Amino acid sequence: MNAAPPIAAWLGFSCEREGEERRYRLAFNETHIGNPAIRALHGGVIAAFLELAMETALRAEGRVPEATVNVTIDYLASSRPEDMTAQVRAIRIGRRLAFLEAEGRQSDGSRLVAVARACLKLA
Amino acid sequence: MSNASTSDINPTIGAMLRSARDFLAHEHSLFRTLALEPVLIGRGQATFALTLPPAFADASGFIHGGLCTIVLDSIFGLTVFTAMEDVKPIATINLRTDYVAKARPGARVRCAAQCDAVDNDVAYVSGRLALEQGGGLIATASGAFMIGTKGPMKGMRV
Repeated sequence: MNAAPPIAAWLGFSCEREGEERRYRLAFNETHIGNPAIRALHGGVIAAFLELAMETALRAEGRVPEATVNVTIDYLASSRPEDMTAQVRAIRIGRRLAFLEAEGRQSDGSRLVAVARACLKLA
Repeated sequence: MSNASTSDINPTIGAMLRSARDFLAHEHSLFRTLALEPVLIGRGQATFALTLPPAFADASGFIHGGLCTIVLDSIFGLTVFTAMEDVKPIATINLRTDYVAKARPGARVRCAAQCDAVDNDVAYVSGRLALEQGGGLIATASGAFMIGTKGPMKGMRV
């Protein structure tokens, strides 16, 4: 495993393992705030975190993402100034493309904040 | 937003954007990191320039796509404000980003967005991120924004 790339360090990105389940974490930092008035995380920061979680999950499956084709994200609830966790589900991992989905949660997993889906090109 | 045309924007919105400018440039941590430079701000449209910060590089040394989404989401939010008649809080409903090409840290880019429609309380925005030199396309995006969400207005959304 290489040293964390700059984007992972900036996000405060980490991976936790519970048996077979992998959970990814965005460590809260003031630099992640988008709207200071309501102290919500920046939507783009949530998207970046979920995208990195999907890439990392793909690597954990032994596949190498070469490039991201596209990402869509739905913001389901306002976020809070705290850590976010993500779980990734593979919808389909083919020979050349992988379709993944990531859920971003807060409040110890009880609050579903955002869902992202990505199509990644495989090396 | 000096040096940029704001003449056709609703005066109340224009005043709000001006008061937000200094706050975003000096006190907002993420926006200070991005150092967005206004190129054009008009009614329902905005273009900003920036240098892609090395802090957002991925393992391969290219800029991580997530930064493109951060920039596009930020400029899209601002673009929604320029199309509004009075000051209300807004929030991103959803966003789709297509990553067309990879970019290097330090590259000079432009993010241009337009508000395509406002249907009561939902605004539709589309835009692109391209290299300043030569205009090579890096990413395109489209998103929907909710107008009039809960929450105080001080400090605005972008």
